[in-house]
Amino acid sequence: MRKTAVVVLLLALVAGACKKKQLSTNLNVENKVAVRSVTLYFEAPDMLLAAETRNVALPENHAGAMSAVVRELFKGSANTSIPRIFPGDTVVRGAYLLPDGTAFVDLGGATLTNGWGTGSHEELMATYSVVQTITTNFPETKRVRILINGTPAETLAGHINIGRALTPNAAYVR
Amino acid sequence: MKRFLPLLILALLAAASILLAQSPNQATLRLPAGDKPVSMTTQNGQPYFAADEVVTALGGTIARDANGFRVTVGTSVAAFAPDSRFGVIRDDLIEMPAPPVVIDGKPYVNWQFFQGFLSRASDQEVLWDGSTRVLTIRPQQHNAVGVQVSVANIQGISKTVITLTAPTDYQIIKEQGAYTVRFKAPIRAPFVEQAFEDANVAKVVFAGNDLKIVLTAEDVAGDAYKLDNPFRIILDLRKGAVAPLGVVPPSGPQKPVDLPGIHTIVIDPGHGGKEVGAIGPGGLMEKDATLAVCRKLADALSNKLKARVVLTRTDDSVVSLDQRTAIANQYHADLFLSVHMNAAIVKGAKGSETYFLSADASDELAKKAAETENASAKAAQQPAGASDLKLILWDLAQQEYLSESSQLAKSIQVELNGVTGVTGRGVKQAPFKVLVGATMPAALVEVAFITNPEEEAKINSAEFQNVVVDALTRAVEKYKTEYETRIGVIQPAPAAPVAPATTTTPKATTTTAPATTTTAAATRTGT
Repeated sequence: MRKTAVVVLLLALVAGACKKKQLSTNLNVENKVAVRSVTLYFEAPDMLLAAETRNVALPENHAGAMSAVVRELFKGSANTSIPRIFPGDTVVRGAYLLPDGTAFVDLGGATLTNGWGTGSHEELMATYSVVQTITTNFPETKRVRILINGTPAETLAGHINIGRALTPNAAYVR
Repeated sequence: MKRFLPLLILALLAAASILLAQSPNQATLRLPAGDKPVSMTTQNGQPYFAADEVVTALGGTIARDANGFRVTVGTSVAAFAPDSRFGVIRDDLIEMPAPPVVIDGKPYVNWQFFQGFLSRASDQEVLWDGSTRVLTIRPQQHNAVGVQVSVANIQGISKTVITLTAPTDYQIIKEQGAYTVRFKAPIRAPFVEQAFEDANVAKVVFAGNDLKIVLTAEDVAGDAYKLDNPFRIILDLRKGAVAPLGVVPPSGPQKPVDLPGIHTIVIDPGHGGKEVGAIGPGGLMEKDATLAVCRKLADALSNKLKARVVLTRTDDSVVSLDQRTAIANQYHADLFLSVHMNAAIVKGAKGSETYFLSADASDELAKKAAETENASAKAAQQPAGASDLKLILWDLAQQEYLSESSQLAKSIQVELNGVTGVTGRGVKQAPFKVLVGATMPAALVEVAFITNPEEEAKINSAEFQNVVVDALTRAVEKYKTEYETRIGVIQPAPAAPVAPATTTTPKATTTTAPATTTTAAATRTGT
């Protein structure tokens, strides 16, 4: 009986030593959801960004919450007379916040991928609607970097530089 | 059974030690100071290294906060988060093949994080050899000369610029349908082959110490010359030129003459090729409208101001945003104007807008690019290695350009308000990519809203285009006079005539061009 116990103990030790370490990435560790009032920025008839608030169920982790807020922005204004700024096929692939306060918003969709044909004003409003919305709802965010399909891009449509992180600009907001 | 027990234990221990030895959790970190063990793991085929162990070995620290990890080595700081495959250093991204992982509270990153961080922070390079499991961190090997190639088609001439990280001897050989640049030093190219959407240059191929420029036709040829600071070889290639096969003799550098005032103007027709820009409800494309206006504008400015005018594109071709600014810098332009047509989702949006760069949009990367494109006389006079001084001078110069760009934008907007009859939109600032890194006063004009059917029809008419061209020409002329008066090239007009008999017409006085003027510079003397 004692011999068997020694063998079992040894086997257990060997098995323990060989056991693969358990991973615990902190991505979406807790997917708790809370309803929060969020502020979204849409282009108003006076051609400036105007704030609109609504209640949205958001996950507690940053990555999930930021993505959810940008998706909400892309749904458009509650005022149906205000057209959507971004192309209808734009998708939010992900969002995350780095410790230095830079938020990354990764966008995709056929139009942004293949080349969005629009002018400076619409592109300026589109770009800063994301920057303004993220920095307003997540105060720890100092600047926003927009990616397309997970990689850095020069512009959304040939004008406004998104090759670096952008800070909010009050000149574009009502 | 008793006899076999020690043997069984020995066998089990041997098996355990073999399994432990093969467990992929250790690698060697090779630093100039010596080797150290470092913990590693493999996830989905990607090797990951314990960030804290590598950072500590480099004499740095790593700290965790609510969002991720902050790495400090010396005075450089980088950050990464476990759910992002991008780290960040200053304004730059560090791309990793996969996001970092956290195992038992310890962050593990791909070696590419250290490569991205250390190459920017301390001029070190990182190499991973999977077969020997050695992660090497060492000073960058600088014996190979880095090479970059850009091609810009300017008025039918394909300006092929080969930029090198250090001066090196070379020979240019004309072959059938190609030019080969043969370097004496080993070169480090960023690619094996790069295709260009250009009328004269099909592609560039690297092989050994050779860089081969493959042409689109047999009758494409041209001249070659070199410029210093940084070291560049430039080939101006065009159709219909004849060149004998064999070694091309070097020609003298075509350095523009540095005269104060506005003598070279670069006009940039927005978009082009597959990048159509905005499209009006009637189908008018922004790229066509901008080209039509800019061609007329170039003629008008050339005739009226006697300035050298360069268009960034003369046909329906794709020119990257960086290339447009680079053309202005390479031509040492005194003024850069990008012309666009606007678009808005708001119905009835109308009028002109003129933009100049926002104050925070210029950056270190733009400075580096501009230094490469525009080794101006001023920059050349800076002592080598005076990077802080260069940065201060760059900032001062950018402030001056911004101030001048603001004046230029105002001058344009005043004239365009008179054309469109809309005065509300005005002069604005925004981080336009095409204006970043321009080392001269620069503005971007949105002539009218192509999305507005009325304005689209106007933009499409020759009459309106002519009115816009007249307005822009007046604006540039006014700005030129004001600027040249400010810097003392033109004497200011007398305040008020004392007596009609003694009044003299204000006379433009220009600096005489030196005897070595090239054709382009000679046009400047007629101002």
